[in-house]
Amino acid sequence: MFAQQILNGLVVGSVYALFALGFTLVFGVQNILNLAHGALFMVGAFVGLYAVTLVDLPLVVALLLSILAAGCIGVLLDFFAFRPLRKRRGGEFPAIMSSIGANLILISIAQQISQAQVSGFPFGTFPIVIYNFLGLRITLQQIAILCCVMLFTTVLLLIIYRTSFGRQARAVAVNERTALLFGVNPSQVYALTFFIAGGLAGAAGFIIGLAFNSVHFLMGEPLLLRGFVVVILGGMGSVVGSLVAGLTLGIIQTMSVFYFSSQISDIIIFSLLFLILLIRPTGFFKGLRQDVRVGRN
Amino acid sequence: MRFFAIYQSLLDVLLINCCVAFSQYVVLRAGVFSLATSGIVSIGAYTGAVLTMRYGLPAWAGLLAGTAFGALVSIILSLPLARLRGAFQAIATISFMQIVVSVTLYAESITSGALGIHNIPKLVSTGTLVVVVAALIWLLSSINASSIGRAFDAIREDETVAVALGISIVKYHTIAFALSGAIAGLAGALLAYNTRAIDPEQFGFGLLVIALATVVLGGRVSVWGPVVGATLLTLLPELIRPLADQRLIVYGALLMIVIIYLPEGIVDTLKARWSRKSAPPQISAG
Amino acid sequence: MTLLSLNNVERRFGGLRAVAGVSFDVPAGRVTGLIGPNGSGKTTVINLVTGMLGVTSGRITFKGDDISELPPHEVARAGVARTFQSIRLLRDLTVLDNVVIGFHRHEKTNLVENLFGLPAARRERREFRDRANVLLKRFGMTDYANYAAGQLSYGHQRKVEVMRAVAAAPDLLLLDEPVAGMNDVEAYELADLLRELVADGIAILLVEHNMRFVMSLCEHVHVVNSGQLIASGPPDAVANDPAVIAAYLGEARA
Repeated sequence: MFAQQILNGLVVGSVYALFALGFTLVFGVQNILNLAHGALFMVGAFVGLYAVTLVDLPLVVALLLSILAAGCIGVLLDFFAFRPLRKRRGGEFPAIMSSIGANLILISIAQQISQAQVSGFPFGTFPIVIYNFLGLRITLQQIAILCCVMLFTTVLLLIIYRTSFGRQARAVAVNERTALLFGVNPSQVYALTFFIAGGLAGAAGFIIGLAFNSVHFLMGEPLLLRGFVVVILGGMGSVVGSLVAGLTLGIIQTMSVFYFSSQISDIIIFSLLFLILLIRPTGFFKGLRQDVRVGRN
Repeated sequence: MRFFAIYQSLLDVLLINCCVAFSQYVVLRAGVFSLATSGIVSIGAYTGAVLTMRYGLPAWAGLLAGTAFGALVSIILSLPLARLRGAFQAIATISFMQIVVSVTLYAESITSGALGIHNIPKLVSTGTLVVVVAALIWLLSSINASSIGRAFDAIREDETVAVALGISIVKYHTIAFALSGAIAGLAGALLAYNTRAIDPEQFGFGLLVIALATVVLGGRVSVWGPVVGATLLTLLPELIRPLADQRLIVYGALLMIVIIYLPEGIVDTLKARWSRKSAPPQISAG
Repeated sequence: MTLLSLNNVERRFGGLRAVAGVSFDVPAGRVTGLIGPNGSGKTTVINLVTGMLGVTSGRITFKGDDISELPPHEVARAGVARTFQSIRLLRDLTVLDNVVIGFHRHEKTNLVENLFGLPAARRERREFRDRANVLLKRFGMTDYANYAAGQLSYGHQRKVEVMRAVAAAPDLLLLDEPVAGMNDVEAYELADLLRELVADGIAILLVEHNMRFVMSLCEHVHVVNSGQLIASGPPDAVANDPAVIAAYLGEARA
């Protein structure tokens, strides 16, 4: 039983990690806490849902479409909500408020389109195949989820550390002005970063929507809170950190819901977050963004 | 009379929103990025409701307890938050808000969990609310004009400068948290006694966004900022009745437009325009 | 009488030694100069004295007390005031308000009096505004009192910063490049003002690049290069010191 819960937790956690990857990427490169990230997750779920139910597309194509759609909305988000604020001083507050506003807009549009209904995928969209492995019960879907997450994480790491864009993004993350001097176009970097972040969130949305068979306009909100935990635990801007923290969170959540209740689970998780912020706000892994102001040094 | 009766509950909502706005305003004015407001309003509301429903205490006791407990929790909160800044403070306080929601959902024996507490006697009416808001305006005005206000300004604008002038950031952050918590606790208790029903979920992100929006709209320096912001926000649903279904889109767009084009908020921007009309002479007069 | 004393002060950032083995004194009633090429550690020294940075090793004493471990706001309260290399004014506040904040460490009213706007607090506010106006008059800035500090010209902004530091009535004034961006007229005016302050007994530690300014004001000058003290003495002696010339112009020219 115990081991089964850990397995389930790993699967859920991997999707949390996927969601948090985009979140931490944006924070690492742009120093923005994007509170509309949950909406991007939701967009992915909806696009995937409609692709399957309305246009009858195969799952992989639907997944790609969700990534594309969420990525594009991400770019629009950057353009309308964050770009106008870039030249401004004033810290993080304006960007966070702007993202809250954008989030409201996106949620509302989704509410209108879906007419506030909770939708699901038709039965059998994903073949129900259960394996028994070492006494543990694992479904084909769970395996597929883990594979997807690993694939996306690997691709992301490759992008960040092996491509020219990745180099530019890292340069901008450290110091935008210096990066400018080296011929980097920050606007392009920011837009592309948001595309990737949105894509990752969209993928996560589609996966969760399919796995839990529930798509509705508010589904991104609880995930945003989980995203905070992952990102703080793992370190803002760290890909590996998000992965490890996401998996850890998934396990903690699944176990505490199983052994206690979902409210206790929330209390445990957020108290943990609070504790981490006290002890080690920069998280446990090094990330793109090293400089965190935490008082006198 | 009928006219007044129809709009009285709207006025009540407006006045309570003012109180919530004041709570958020105090911390933002001092440069603290605390989003704990809705969590403390919840604590104040449940304190008042439980004390009256369960122990039969009168309204003034409930209000006092809500205020005091709100201040206390806020001060305790400020201790761990002292080392954090910016986004980290925001995340920490949001997680506090979540903890409060979860605790109020879970502690069913005290709070009746998800059902909430109903049929709270209507112990607070418009008159009380008007007095409270007026008192808060007076209090916050005198604070703004005092050394506390000056210190808040310095800390908000540039912490490095504040520290170089001998201002203790910890001391003034604590004051800001205490004040903000007291006001939020009071607002919660007032809410409980006025709207007569409370439940855990109403003190989550929704209320937080309202609190933030009032200060974004109105401004975070002048004490009239939150008043104007709360008024606009309360009246907005009435003003855009034809667009009722697209309400959230209007709110979201308004928030984005204001933060981008009117970052200081309405009141502070107007004040700045009126008092400093032209640029000063540039020659060195000596 | 020595007001400030640095004793073998060192500051490391990881493996980098920004400041190493720096020792010098700053006496009261004099202007002491601290010069050196860009990146030599001058601002780091100031940050160490004010407590913005902690010392890795060594001691800093002020009026006889060890201030090496004090947090910055307490160093300020002890009587140290500073200006910043990049001007740090509260841009949206008026010039007058910027100076009034400088009086913070002299506040005598307590929390309750300020919380409720009691007469004592209001009286203190009036008093501070009057004193601020006196300062503005002394610095010739009365006309600018009600303008937003951010609207002023660079030279005027620097003056406001100095006014704010002087408002604190410090025993030690740390000036980080106070005349950068000022024209000669403004610089001379400031020099006169600083001489007045010093005559009142204040100690001034002046970090500057403007050599004429340093020579005309300082009785004693210390030179740092790469975080280390390479010369000390009266201005003309230091100016002719081969080590100093080498530091500024490069080894080949020495």
